[in-house]
Amino acid sequence: MRLGNVIGRVTLSQQDAAYSGARFLLVQPLSPAQMGGAPLSPLAKGSTVVVYDNLGAGPGQIIGFTEGAEASAPFEQPTPVDAFNAAIVDRIFYNPPAGA
Amino acid sequence: MIEARVDGMIIATVCHPSLRGCRTVICQPLDEHGRAEGPPVLAVDPYGAGEHQTVIISTDGSKTRDYVGDPKSPLRNLILAVSDEVRD
Repeated sequence: MRLGNVIGRVTLSQQDAAYSGARFLLVQPLSPAQMGGAPLSPLAKGSTVVVYDNLGAGPGQIIGFTEGAEASAPFEQPTPVDAFNAAIVDRIFYNPPAGA
Repeated sequence: MIEARVDGMIIATVCHPSLRGCRTVICQPLDEHGRAEGPPVLAVDPYGAGEHQTVIISTDGSKTRDYVGDPKSPLRNLILAVSDEVRD
């Protein structure tokens, strides 16, 4: 699971049947400095991820999302999802050792 | 399995049901010399590992699904052990 900042939403017109009713978010993974409280803008380096969401997260929130095979585990039917929003984060306590 | 250092934790009220009640910590993966390597990841912590302690994480979801008791859990990383000492 990784932490990311929700920077937008994705809406679909044509879609695979498995996606009907799904919500998708655009998520930028946080840098270690941002976990420690650095500003979320400018965005951290790294690819932006499209994350399936059924918790109702919105732009500006921090979420914990899982990737890989586990991302499609919660679905009843086989669903082609490879990033899944598992938690909307209220607070982060991050304190790496100095010099690490 | 990877070796990592506990650098923090998160609090999340709205989460997947399988994560409810689980302590979730931010872990920094370490290289063979004990230096930070790669971005931090989140892991479920059944043992109450303390800040800056070194832990062993399973990155295979099956043990995590067993621990949370939900075969449909999306969680993957689980702390398996808190290490006392690591020797080269």
